[in-house]
Amino acid sequence: MSKLQEFAKSFTQKRELQITIVLAIFGAILTTAAFVMAFTSANMQYHDTTVTVDYLLEDKGALLAPPAQQVGVDEGFVYITPWFSQKIFYFHVPIAQLSLVVFSLAAIFGIIFLRTRNPNYDLRSRIAMETTLIFTLGTMITGSLWTRASWLNSWGELGSTLLSEPRLVTYTVMLMFVVAYFVLRKSVEGEEKKATYSAVFAILAWIIVPFSFLYTRLTQEAAAHPTDAVNTGMDPSNLLPFIVCIFGMMMLGYAIYILRVAEEKKRTQLEEIKETIEDSLSKASKAKGVNATNQYSAAVVLNKTSEKQSSDSAQSASKDGGE
Amino acid sequence: MAKAKSTAATRSNISGWRQYKALLKKDIAQELRTKEMVTSMGLYGMLVLVIYYIALSQAGTGFDITLIAAGLLLLMIVFTSMLGLNRSLIHEHDQGQLEALLLAPIDRPIIFLAKATTNFLFLAIVQVVVVPFFYVMFVSSSPGIIRGDVDPGPWWMLALILFLGSIGIAGVGTLLATISVNSKGRDFILAVLFIPVMYPLLLVLVAALTAVITGGSGFEATFWQMCAAAAAYNAVVIAVAFALYDYILGV
Repeated sequence: MSKLQEFAKSFTQKRELQITIVLAIFGAILTTAAFVMAFTSANMQYHDTTVTVDYLLEDKGALLAPPAQQVGVDEGFVYITPWFSQKIFYFHVPIAQLSLVVFSLAAIFGIIFLRTRNPNYDLRSRIAMETTLIFTLGTMITGSLWTRASWLNSWGELGSTLLSEPRLVTYTVMLMFVVAYFVLRKSVEGEEKKATYSAVFAILAWIIVPFSFLYTRLTQEAAAHPTDAVNTGMDPSNLLPFIVCIFGMMMLGYAIYILRVAEEKKRTQLEEIKETIEDSLSKASKAKGVNATNQYSAAVVLNKTSEKQSSDSAQSASKDGGE
Repeated sequence: MAKAKSTAATRSNISGWRQYKALLKKDIAQELRTKEMVTSMGLYGMLVLVIYYIALSQAGTGFDITLIAAGLLLLMIVFTSMLGLNRSLIHEHDQGQLEALLLAPIDRPIIFLAKATTNFLFLAIVQVVVVPFFYVMFVSSSPGIIRGDVDPGPWWMLALILFLGSIGIAGVGTLLATISVNSKGRDFILAVLFIPVMYPLLLVLVAALTAVITGGSGFEATFWQMCAAAAAYNAVVIAVAFALYDYILGV
């Protein structure tokens, strides 16, 4: 019963829950603040080498800045002042960066699990991978919004840019890694085996993180996906919402992570308590001399014997009748 | 547990090299008796070539196959090697060989090295047979080569790329095959794990292969760059696989 008391106590402490709530609230506030700043105080940057240029002059309707803010012709190039792709930048980049960070965390927890064999670290590795999945999907959703605004290749008209752009394919491979991790977990039986295999795979899969980060920076062909936003310098009015959004997303991600870890720990505790209760129940019934299952089987045996007896008597009756 | 194994090995005075040779001999003897790995992989490779022939049969005479030949060749190698890797540990698993190996005084890293070597050997044998067929069927008959517009690099360059690729595939594949053979959906799990891990290597290999097959001015620079990248990838990933193999045996 001491386990049950511990369980009840851990609910009264509620420490994880408090941290989660505080982090989630702060994260939500910061992200919202970044959202508001992105649409109000951030200046439009339209230099050719920054990420914020919509360089194709097709009609993009509501995705463009109002006509009053158009800069027009500059040094021989016709620019359209970006509007939507400028805004999505503040969310897409932090989510993508954090997805790589959380993926790395999963690998680090995998290493710690292999060194210590402590199932807690397997749990952390798994939850980090779950958080990676959330961030990866978020990156892909915001990225496809940006694609529509900036490259004119929406999901409606899958252009060659979208399918052959190295960064997008590399990132899709990373999503496949995350999915493969969970497929592997599903198909291995036995807790320790499952934990070991998935830790090994998480470590091996980490190779995609430096590859994804460096690939577009090292090769020439990757011109379509912007990478040099920070190098070319951001306007302070742009940098502020960007940094605020990074912190907000970090807090939200950490809140998700802590909440899930606490939930899983509670679940295992609950399973343990169920087992102890079942054990004590069966012990108690054994002490009485009659087990619940024994009662059932005894009833079945009784039924069968009575059926047999009745059929026997029926047979004998028919025999009697025949004679 | 691993420590106990290694002390047992040193106590019985069997050097690592002799253990390695014994394991290699075991696999090769098994293969010589059954001939199942090389036959099935070679046959599968040839069938993939037949499918390529069917797929390209309507492409017409003007189609320049040298641009995609590298990709086709690599696809064939990936499929064939996945088939081989799937089968490579079936006996170990189904007949309890792996437990026997773990009981024997053998260092665990040597089990990995021996298995990776046999996988590499079988893959190399199959490639020696199938790649010339591929060259004759597709590349040598392409209009660019016949007219002399396309000037492929020397054959040893092709061999070097395939060698690097096979090392990477065999090294990582052995680790992943050991994982997948112990899971429920064997073939499927191997494909799901193998292709994402191989993705950077395959990109590099296809760049090097295209450089060699299409030739042209200054293709050597691309070739050596890509070979260096493939070698670096192999070194990193095989070192990781080697270090991790200890953990997945016998859990």
